[in-house]
Amino acid sequence: MNIRNFSIIAHIDHGKSTLADRLLQATKAVSDREAKAQLLDSMDLERERGITIKASAVTVMHEHNGERYMLNFIDTPGHVDFGYEVSRALKACEGALLIVDAAQGVEAQTVVNAYLAIEQDLEIIPVLNKIDLPGARPDEIAMEVEQVLGFAAEDCVLCSAKSGVGIPELLDEICERFPGPRQAQTPKTRALIFDAVYDDYRGVIVYCRVFDGRLKVGDKIRMMGLGRTFTITELGKYTPKPQKVKEVGTGETCYLVASIKTLGDVRVGDTITIDHDPAEEALSGYEPPRQMVFCDFYPATNSDKKGNDFEALREAMEKLSLNDASFTFQTVHSEALGFGYRCGFLGLLHMDIIQERLEREGDVEIVQTAPTVSYKVEVRGKEGATEEIEVHNPADLPDMGSIIAIKEPIAKVEVMVPKEYIGDVMKLALDRRGIFTGQTFVSDARDMLTFEIPLAELIYDFYDKLKGLTAGYGTMDYEINEYRTDRLVKVDVLINGDPVEALAVIVHKEKSEQRGRQLLVRLKKQIPRHQFEIPLQCAIGGKIIARETIKGFRKNVTAKCYGGDVTRKRKLLEKQKKGKERMKTIGTVNIPQEAFMAVLDVGDE
Amino acid sequence: MSDDTALSRLRQLEAASAKIPVRDALAQPGRPGVSSIYIHIPFCSHKCHYCDFYSFVDSRDRQRAFTSRLIRELASLAPLAGPVQTIFVGGGTPSLLKAELWQELLASLQETYDLSPFLKGDGEFTVECNPESVSEELLGVLKSGGVNRISMGAQSFNPEHLKTLERLHNPASVPVAVELVRNAGIDRVSVDLIYAIPGQSLQDLEHDLRHALAMPIEHLSCYELTYEPNTAMTKRLGMGEFVRTPEELEIEMFELVGAMATQAGFERYEVSNYAKPGCECRHNLAYWKQDEWIAAGPSASAHIGGHRYKNVPRLESYLTGDDEGFAMIVDHEPPDPVRLVQEKLMTGLRLREGLDVDSLLENLNAANARRVRETATEFENLGQLERTEGRWKLTPSGVLLADGIAGSLLSVIA
Ligand SMILES: Nc1nc2c(ncn2[C@@H]2O[C@H](COP(=O)(O)OP(=O)(O)OP(=O)(O)O)[C@@H](O)[C@H]2O)c(=O)[nH]1
Ligand code: SF4
Ligand SMILES: [Mg+2]
Repeated sequence: MNIRNFSIIAHIDHGKSTLADRLLQATKAVSDREAKAQLLDSMDLERERGITIKASAVTVMHEHNGERYMLNFIDTPGHVDFGYEVSRALKACEGALLIVDAAQGVEAQTVVNAYLAIEQDLEIIPVLNKIDLPGARPDEIAMEVEQVLGFAAEDCVLCSAKSGVGIPELLDEICERFPGPRQAQTPKTRALIFDAVYDDYRGVIVYCRVFDGRLKVGDKIRMMGLGRTFTITELGKYTPKPQKVKEVGTGETCYLVASIKTLGDVRVGDTITIDHDPAEEALSGYEPPRQMVFCDFYPATNSDKKGNDFEALREAMEKLSLNDASFTFQTVHSEALGFGYRCGFLGLLHMDIIQERLEREGDVEIVQTAPTVSYKVEVRGKEGATEEIEVHNPADLPDMGSIIAIKEPIAKVEVMVPKEYIGDVMKLALDRRGIFTGQTFVSDARDMLTFEIPLAELIYDFYDKLKGLTAGYGTMDYEINEYRTDRLVKVDVLINGDPVEALAVIVHKEKSEQRGRQLLVRLKKQIPRHQFEIPLQCAIGGKIIARETIKGFRKNVTAKCYGGDVTRKRKLLEKQKKGKERMKTIGTVNIPQEAFMAVLDVGDE
Repeated sequence: MSDDTALSRLRQLEAASAKIPVRDALAQPGRPGVSSIYIHIPFCSHKCHYCDFYSFVDSRDRQRAFTSRLIRELASLAPLAGPVQTIFVGGGTPSLLKAELWQELLASLQETYDLSPFLKGDGEFTVECNPESVSEELLGVLKSGGVNRISMGAQSFNPEHLKTLERLHNPASVPVAVELVRNAGIDRVSVDLIYAIPGQSLQDLEHDLRHALAMPIEHLSCYELTYEPNTAMTKRLGMGEFVRTPEELEIEMFELVGAMATQAGFERYEVSNYAKPGCECRHNLAYWKQDEWIAAGPSASAHIGGHRYKNVPRLESYLTGDDEGFAMIVDHEPPDPVRLVQEKLMTGLRLREGLDVDSLLENLNAANARRVRETATEFENLGQLERTEGRWKLTPSGVLLADGIAGSLLSVIA
């Protein structure tokens, strides 16, 4: 049988998932009645947000020129944060459909994803989607594709994933232009794990692509990297309903169940072989995803000791980590916020999604601290030796005196913008300590700008600002390519003279005063008045760089208090006490949890 | 809450009667008799807009029924009492009760309670009066029934401000009424004032104080206007009819009251109460020191044997009572030593004499007592609280922050 393995890649919202729906329908994998929008986006969150978070692999059968074709394809997420999902998917394929919105044109992630596919040496079919839209400009966009990506304009396939126009032609192209899987290179079995998900009933479900040999139900398999062995209890394909099979052969993709208890027992990118007849060499795998953004999660409800609220959070974290192996977490304790977790994420959207899933699926309320990046800090160790340590929590920064240098991650940022906004975008990037590195012609209307911008400056609200400045047209993507030393300092926040570690931030020296002031203004809005004046200060080392004051109450007394009032008044005071339980006490100051989010908002205005 | 559920909740609450706490208090061995009585008369001639007391205009002439019921209730509570030191009749407007009903009430008190301290001149019997409803006749009845103190509701001497409060009396009637009281041979008079009335200036208040202090009185209660929930005043404020007095002016007013009262020979002995030496209101002090008192009449609150409760605040239900004459009650709180400490903190700190620290904290476990002490130290360091002769007292700057300080102290009690 003919087999075609391919991924669907694109910039966010250009129509990958909708196109996948049409492929399922055109190949009769789902009936017209069953077809609902973005069928492969099965998570509630995916459906609500209208975005794909996890890649999904399906298998359908198609007849072309009188021959049967097995089409294995993977719908991928478009958002920057999930780029690693795309590269994993591509490893399992020979071809990629590169979808481009015929009205929007080539965007930042179109470029990034196209290059990922080119690097993997995949055959690429550019598809101009949404040609039904009144604003569609397929000819112009085809020129953009040629100009920016180097695919011939006339090779673009035109379609509408909405109306179905062009889908049969696209299926023909898939069968004709994508190569079949490569021949087996060894008689021994080798299958690449390209994804793994956790299922409450069956444990871990492993997605793999068989490159050599075959897999059968009952096989005792070995993970070549981790060295663990399991017995296959179920093999199958998603069509998109799960359909069990007895056996899968070279070139096919499948899912596999083997009583694997946790995602920790599986490593995406590992090679599966047969335990009693193992392959000698593993397939080349993936680099594990790198966490770039960090923040702390604490239970929002207070408990003095390591109590129930923390337990609930722990359970939720562990459960979620079964589903998403790409975020990391470890226990932390903060004087102000109690016990919680320091978590690492692929990016800001990822952080957002994890928080939302925890709250929703785990039913816990979370206080989140400001996101930070991971710094590499050179310190003078014992006997004058230099050591490099990794710090992603300002509180963990060693004493400034022992620091030789602080290096921060620098992102290579690509921004696609309509020409009239170039000036504004330049200004934004330079404001964020960006270095302009290049400008590429995309079309008469748009250019692609490249910058190097410290990740720390990107993670606040760069993307929102970019959208705002460009009337929504600007798109961006980034990739971390190096760590660079800069004049970075830790700014401490003192409330009533006490430093509050959970509020400390690492910022560039030149911006420290401005950031400090903004932070204090926000804090001031969050902390209620007390019986006394509360000074708020920002300091570097011992030097105060900004200050604000929360005025004390001058009057807080009931005029009248007679016998019958006592009960009512006591209840009122008790209510205040309840309110206070949602606050953290530092020294004599009660700080509401919202205040810890104040640092989050440090933008520039 | 919809009216329906409010009503059914009220019915449910009414199911309890004062019999339960009273029986319990009586069963507590070795307890001394209660020496204070509060009596609530709910009738008024008009509802003032700031008022959240249980009071109403009686359009159905239920004074007779009320008085009989009250007398019965007082009789059923009598076993609780020892020699009576203080009686306070508040309302409402007690001076609206007809003279003949007063006579019956006073006679029954003489009969059922031990008023011997009064014979030794050692009792305090206060009746609240409205300046326009006191008459020679009424005062004569009160005097012969043992009443020796009148609390006169003046509130303001400025007709415009009285109008804002929707308090309907002619300011000129106040000194006339005080004189009538004196002439009747009742030798202690207290006057109530309200300040921080919308539109009132510091000069206006000074004018009110001058008028009040010019009269032959020994006691002055001077309350900042409080916007109680569910009062017309608060609704009008919400509708933007007037604005609240700015906090800075309220503070100046508070200080002016203190200064003028002191100059006139009064001393502040509670946040809002001033008296010539020895003329403090003993009945109110009993409340503020968490002593015990018996309560009679609708909405009256009692504190006996550690129980706190309130008589049902509805005349209709009050008139029913139970078989033994006890009133239906609401908001019953059984004895709780920790609660008592909290209450002492709330009211005791408001007093000039402050709170005895050791006897206060001995009712708490060690950890709680330590936390209260630590928190108190913070306020001492802020200069808002001081400890002298083993007592915690608010400093002049602390008096204005009394709620916050009490709230902080009681909130560290686990
Ligand atoms: N008019 C029109 N709208 C389309 C077409 N294809 C997709 N859309 C719409 O475009 C939006 C995005 O489509 P999706 O299929 O979710 O896009 P996606 O590329 O999977 O998005 P991500 O997974 O978030 O990267 C949806 O509102 C679709 O209905 C098309 O051919 N024509
Ligand atoms: S006279 Fe007193 S009790 Fe009556 S309505 Fe006015 S304030 Fe209330
Ligand atoms: Mg999608």
